[in-house]
Amino acid sequence: MTGMREDPIKHFFLWPAVLIVLAIAIFPLIYSLANSFMSLRLVPPIPPRFVGFDNYIDLLSNERFWQVVKTTSIIAFTSVALQFVLGFAIALALVKKVPGENFFRVGFLLPMLVTPVAVALVAKQILNPTMGPLNQLTSFFGFPNLPFLTDSTWALGSLITVEIWQWTPFVILLLLAGLQGLPDDVYEAAELENASPWQQFWGITFPLMLPISAAVIFIRIVESFKIIDTVFVMTGGGPGISTETLSLFAYQEGFKKFNLGYTSSLSFLFLFVVLIISLVYLAILKPYLEKYK
Amino acid sequence: MSVRDLRGAKRYWVFGACLFWLLLTLFPLYWVAITSFKRPVDVVGGPTYLPFIDFQPTMTAWIELFSGIRGEFFSNFWSSAIVATSASVIATLLGAMAAYALVRFPFKVRLLSGVAFFVVAMGGFLLGRDILGFNPVTASIIAFCIALALSVFVNRYRLPGPVLGNDDVVFWFVSQRLFPPIVVAFALFLLYTEMGKMGFKMTDTYFGLTLAYVAFSLPIVIWLMRDFFAGLPVDVEEAALVDNVPSWRIFFGIVLPMSKPGLIATFVITLAFVWNEFLFALFLTNSRWQTLPILVAGQNSQRGDEWWSISAAALVAIIPMVIIAGFLGRMMRSGLLRGAVK
Repeated sequence: MTGMREDPIKHFFLWPAVLIVLAIAIFPLIYSLANSFMSLRLVPPIPPRFVGFDNYIDLLSNERFWQVVKTTSIIAFTSVALQFVLGFAIALALVKKVPGENFFRVGFLLPMLVTPVAVALVAKQILNPTMGPLNQLTSFFGFPNLPFLTDSTWALGSLITVEIWQWTPFVILLLLAGLQGLPDDVYEAAELENASPWQQFWGITFPLMLPISAAVIFIRIVESFKIIDTVFVMTGGGPGISTETLSLFAYQEGFKKFNLGYTSSLSFLFLFVVLIISLVYLAILKPYLEKYK
Repeated sequence: MSVRDLRGAKRYWVFGACLFWLLLTLFPLYWVAITSFKRPVDVVGGPTYLPFIDFQPTMTAWIELFSGIRGEFFSNFWSSAIVATSASVIATLLGAMAAYALVRFPFKVRLLSGVAFFVVAMGGFLLGRDILGFNPVTASIIAFCIALALSVFVNRYRLPGPVLGNDDVVFWFVSQRLFPPIVVAFALFLLYTEMGKMGFKMTDTYFGLTLAYVAFSLPIVIWLMRDFFAGLPVDVEEAALVDNVPSWRIFFGIVLPMSKPGLIATFVITLAFVWNEFLFALFLTNSRWQTLPILVAGQNSQRGDEWWSISAAALVAIIPMVIIAGFLGRMMRSGLLRGAVK
């Protein structure tokens, strides 16, 4: 490689970061993995006992676990799909020099930076079934007092909406940067051939943007699976457990029941779910990415 | 004008659509801002929209907030600010150093020594805790040090198996973001608690929380800064090398000053990430070093639907981020973030 040189000082540069990540992120992971094969409780305290895969088997046969996986997947996939479609459309509008573009950019960026917990509290006010502004709007159309947060389906929809509001800016940000990097000459050629904007989009823009789109969707899905703060504040997992996500379930088991072994195996199953989804995603995408390389 | 720009009536349709999305984006923020100036009667009596027309604004919620009737607001604000700033500074510095090393110097890590670390760390921990009867922290520290020493030692020999290069090290860092943070947050909480029993208080301390945030910001910092450094011209550094300037002075004296825009962008992104973070603060703090998101999240359950004061509390968390958004928007226009995407 060019520009590379040898110098023992390189270790001094790299090791502080490696050590911190090893000690604070990797070692707890190992510790957790070790605990996940144990029966370990803090309240009431019982001596740790090796139980092999019992915790995992317990969880996999627990209906609540599957329910939680389903809820988390619905939230993640639906919200990311809509974020991507909306984000792509908005990024296209911005790159085409819509009037007032600079102002729109800063405005569109905002939600992504607002504290998710605060967003959830604002959403709770707006979605309030009696004194919220949205209720006024739906009442006007003849649907007063809709159960935005107290009915399972509505609550799930509300959470997805909040996710879309908050994270579409991230998609816009990255796709816009990608669009700005596309070469102009391809479009000039297409213009000469009289290709319609629709043809130009599917023939040029979309394929050229495929790698970055794939990356953006991947990041968003992985991040969405971690969702806890919005749910924690807006519904607390309710009504019942219908909006409980994987992180929230792990938090309830670990922090409320102090069932350590069980929680550790739960978090590893969680990791496993995310890994499987990532691998399947990459496998599906690979032929397309290679086709347009 | 390039051929990709919009022309004619279409421009106004697209403009209208953008305006609509902007309205959706800004309405919740407008709503929280006006609610914080409302009297209770203006909230409970149904939605009101325009100050001075719909309702008479009042400062009550803000005065209550700042006078401290509503809990230790200042203390939480400062702990948030201090932890977020110092964690971002440390992460940006250490991450920039690591990213520079990964761009300019070759590294070779044998896969087998990585596996050795994992096996020895886990085996040693289990052996120490369950068979030799050490407490979990002593067992962890011993297992960690032995595993690390062994894997560094093993890495010097020509072992079979693949050799990983710089890109793999970067991938290792970035892949940390794949792990659900709850896996680590919970284990970290247990380890911190055990350390507390031994006399090193880690839960609810500045040190404990900042350390966790540094570790979790490093992957992003390394990812962003690596692309930035890779885009810098090597000539200046090569000229300095010819003059026998030592590498650490090249980095601190030449490379860092040249990278100021990239460092600022990275710092700001990390700052926003740490400021808004909820899960680690929830696990690792309980009173003294509790951050704003935790305080804000607790508002609703503690006091029910007192939306005027909840809104004021939420705004304190939001406003610094709005300032940062303006800042990021400016940097985006100058194309600073473009490098990070490639």
